[in-house]
Amino acid sequence: MTRPPAGRLVAIFATMSLAFTAILVRLALLQVSGQAAELKERALDQRVRTVVLPAERGQILDRGGDRLAMSTPAVDLYADPRFVTDPWATASRLSPILGIGIPDLVRDLSADTTFVYLARQVEPEVAERTRALELPGIGFLDASKRTYPAGALAPQVLGFVGIDGEGLSGLELGYEEVLAGTPGERTTELDPHGQPIAGGIDIHRPPVEGSSVLTTIDRELQFQVQAALAEAVSAEGARGGSVIVMDPDTGEILAMASYPWFDPNAFGESPAWTYRNRAVTDAFEPGSTNKVITAAAAVQEAALPLDQQLSVPWTMRVGDFTIHDSHPHGIQKMTLGDVIAESSNIGAVQVANRVGSSAMASYLSRFGLGRPTGVGFPGEVGGIMLPLYEWSDTSLATMAYGQGISATPLQMVSVYATIANEGRWIQPRLVKATVDPDGTVHEAPAPATRRVISAASAQMVSRMLAYAVQHGTGGNAQVRGFQVAGKTGTARIAAADRAGYIEGQYIASFIGYLPAGDPQVVIAAILDRPRAGYGGLAAAPLFQRVARASITRLGVTPVERLPLPPHALPVG
Amino acid sequence: MVFGIVVLHVLLAQTSFRIDRAERTIEELSEEHLSLIREQATLSAPGRIAAWARRHGMRLPDDIRILHAPGDGSADPAGAGTPSIDPTGGSGT
Repeated sequence: MTRPPAGRLVAIFATMSLAFTAILVRLALLQVSGQAAELKERALDQRVRTVVLPAERGQILDRGGDRLAMSTPAVDLYADPRFVTDPWATASRLSPILGIGIPDLVRDLSADTTFVYLARQVEPEVAERTRALELPGIGFLDASKRTYPAGALAPQVLGFVGIDGEGLSGLELGYEEVLAGTPGERTTELDPHGQPIAGGIDIHRPPVEGSSVLTTIDRELQFQVQAALAEAVSAEGARGGSVIVMDPDTGEILAMASYPWFDPNAFGESPAWTYRNRAVTDAFEPGSTNKVITAAAAVQEAALPLDQQLSVPWTMRVGDFTIHDSHPHGIQKMTLGDVIAESSNIGAVQVANRVGSSAMASYLSRFGLGRPTGVGFPGEVGGIMLPLYEWSDTSLATMAYGQGISATPLQMVSVYATIANEGRWIQPRLVKATVDPDGTVHEAPAPATRRVISAASAQMVSRMLAYAVQHGTGGNAQVRGFQVAGKTGTARIAAADRAGYIEGQYIASFIGYLPAGDPQVVIAAILDRPRAGYGGLAAAPLFQRVARASITRLGVTPVERLPLPPHALPVG
Repeated sequence: MVFGIVVLHVLLAQTSFRIDRAERTIEELSEEHLSLIREQATLSAPGRIAAWARRHGMRLPDDIRILHAPGDGSADPAGAGTPSIDPTGGSGT
C-alpha cells in the first residue's frame, strides 16, 4: 500500500481550510454587519404571518332594540394568478358556485398580478364549498357583510356602507366612529406547511367591536308610515313625499320617511338621488304651514286683540306685486283664528304688518328657521331665511304666508312641536343612546331647548290650529274621537333654472299634532306635486292615516277638547 | 431528560391542536349565533309580517274605536255619536 503523495494531502487540506475559513468569514460578516438584522427579519417573515382581524361593526337598533342594521360574517375570495394552473378549468368549477360568468373569471384568473378579488362578501357556506374544491391559487379572507334585515325600512335614515365596510351615508356615515370599532391582528409562527408551530410566536390583539346605535325610530310605526306615504304618492301621482313623526316632549323622531326610497341591501340598483334623506337635506318653501309662526308672534306680542275682526279682501297690493287668497271672496270679517282656519294669505299679511318686520324676523329665527336643527344627521341643511337687513318691501308679506323663505320638513315639524310643547322648542334627535359591546349604555346628551313663546300663547295657537281642522281647511285631517290641531300648506315651487315659480305645481303639506289638548305626537305629511294640489286635499288624508297608525302603535288616548278660539266666521 | 423534553413537546402540540379546535368551534358557533340573529331580525321585520298577513286575508282596521269606561258599567265608543270627517274636505292653502 502506497501512501498518497504528501502534496495532494496538503492541497486538499489547504482547500478545505480555505473553504471553512471562507464560511467562517462569511458567517462572521453576516453576524456583525448590518445585514444580520435584515436577514433575521426576512427569515421571520417567511414563517411568521400577521393577519388583520376586522372589527365587527356595531348594530343600528330601533327604539325597542330591534335590529335595523347588522353585520354578519362573510368571506372575500381572491386569486393569485401565478399559481392558477388552468384558468379555464378553475373558472368553470367556480362559476356555478359564485354565480359569476366564466369569461369574467378567466379574465381575473389570467391577470398579470399577484392578487385579484374574485368575489367579495360571499356567504361562509359558499366559501366553504369553494374551499372544498382545493383549487390552486385561490385564497380566502375573512370579511363581514352589512345587512339590513327589514329591507327598505328607513333606508335614508340608516344609510349604507361601502364594500370595505365604511359608512357612506345616513347614520352609518354620521356615527362611523362609534360603529366602526378597532381592527385587531394575530401574528402566528407557521411551519412550512402553514400550520402553527406549537410554542412559537402567537400574538393575538383582538379587535374591538364597534358600539351599537340605539335610534329613536319605531320600526313598526316606520313601516306603517312608509306604507301610507307610498300609497298617497301613488294615489296622488306625486313625484315624492316626506313624513316625519315626532314626540314633542322629547324631540325624538319616531318615524322619518322620504319617497322614493331604496333597499340598502342593494343600494347600487337605485339611483343616487333616492339616497337623500329629503326630510332633512331638502328645503322647500313651507307655504301656509308657516302661518303658525305669524299667529304665534301675533299672540305672544299681543299685536291685535284676539277677537278683533279684520276686514280681509281677496287681493292686496304689496310693493309691485298683487297677492291674493286661494279663492275669490268678498271682504270678509275675520279674527286671527279665522285667518288661520281659512288660511287667508291677505289676513296673514295684515297680521304680520301688526307684528312688524323686526319681531317677525325674531320669531322666525326663534322657531329655528334659517339654521339646521342639529339633529346630528349628515348633510342637514338650514333652509334659507334672509337676514332682516336684506328684507325687501315684500319680504314681510310673503314670509307671513310662507313664501320667500325655505325650511326642511324637519324644521317645520319642530315649529309645530314647539307649539305642542307649550311654547318650548326642543331639538329633534334620531339617536337615543350608544351601546358598548359589553352592554354599557351611553345616553345621548339631553336635547337643547329654548322658550319661544309662553305656554298660554302656545295654547291659544293650538286652539286656532284645532279650529282649522274642525271648521277650516284641515277637515280631511280629522281623526274620529280625537281633537287634531294642524295647518294645511300649499306652496309654490321655485323654478330651478330661472327666477319665479313653476306654474300650476305645488308642494302640498299638512303639519299637526294630537290630541290638541295634550299633544303626544306631531306629524308632518308632505307631498311633492300631487294631483289634487292643495294641502287640505292631498296631504291632510295622508296625515290622517299616519295619525291613526300612531294612535294605535303608541297608545295615544283622547283628552279633553280645547275650546275654539274667538272667531267671526260661522261654524256648523 | 431527552424523553421528558419529547413528552413535553407532544403535550404542547396536543394542547395546541385542542386550542385550535376549540377556537374553530367558537368561531363556528359565533357565526351560527349571528346567522340566527339575522334570521330572527328578518323574520320579525314588519314588512314580512304585513305581507304574510295580507296573504292570509288580514287587513288593518278601518277605524279606531276607543272605549270610554264611565264607571257605571256601560261603555261608549269614542266618536260614535259625533260626526267624523267632513266629506267635502277643505281646499287649504
